[in-house]
Amino acid sequence: MNTVLSRANSLFAFSLSVMAALTFGCFITTAFKDRSVPVDIHVSKVMIKNVDDFTGPRERSDLGFVTFDISANLQPIFDWNVKELFLYLTAEYSTKSNALNQVVLWDKIVLRGDSTKLNLKDVKSKYFFFDDGNGLRANKNITLTLSWNVVPNAGILPLVMGSGHKSLAFPETYETAKSY
Amino acid sequence: MLSSFKTIPTHMDYKGQKLAEQIFQGIILVSAVIGFIYGLSIQQFGWTVYIMLGGFTVSCLLTLPPWPMYRKNPLSWQPAVPETSGENRDKPQESQKKKKHK
Repeated sequence: MNTVLSRANSLFAFSLSVMAALTFGCFITTAFKDRSVPVDIHVSKVMIKNVDDFTGPRERSDLGFVTFDISANLQPIFDWNVKELFLYLTAEYSTKSNALNQVVLWDKIVLRGDSTKLNLKDVKSKYFFFDDGNGLRANKNITLTLSWNVVPNAGILPLVMGSGHKSLAFPETYETAKSY
Repeated sequence: MLSSFKTIPTHMDYKGQKLAEQIFQGIILVSAVIGFIYGLSIQQFGWTVYIMLGGFTVSCLLTLPPWPMYRKNPLSWQPAVPETSGENRDKPQESQKKKKHK
């Protein structure tokens, strides 16, 4: 280590190794945390239409319209290893032609530092709720759940489901609205 | 301009190098521990990184330039052995070099 450059080289390499060890320590302190919180979902209006679906193989498919309220407190999830949360609302149901259908209706990105109390009212779905066929009409059991993807500073990205879901039923006929 | 950088003396003697290495390893480890505990207590990893960078800067300032504490044990060179009469001209230059090292 006779020259300035070789001293600087070993100093910098040592700092980087120590930094990598610190990052691993940060990951280890939060690796086994349970990141689920209770979530409250209410549905205010449900409507169904039968329209042309140009992305599907058949002539007409069912299109659902759901208006909902979500409230949850996400503060316990944020710790020093969480950079952001990607929230998404899923509708899960089964029809005669498919045993399991899951459709994402709405999503949101919550960054670290944003307000963590989620209190949204009368939200319309962001994405189309198309069914693969005509299975939404008179479907009695459609479950809405809010899940999130935790994006960490270091480590695994887990998919966590919030505890709390809402079941709803679609009306029997098209173009009519059912209020809850 | 590069030649004037090369004439700045940057060497340390061997005990000084060992001392410099111990100093920067110690400073960086201590700042890593402090940074980890502080970041864990306020739950922000950014502060851990800032404290580490601070420790890195302090150890850069302390160990990169050749401070006099790293030159306490200089090597004692043997005096030059005169071989031919041509060496007599080199001797005064060598003794001047020795003075610069001290």
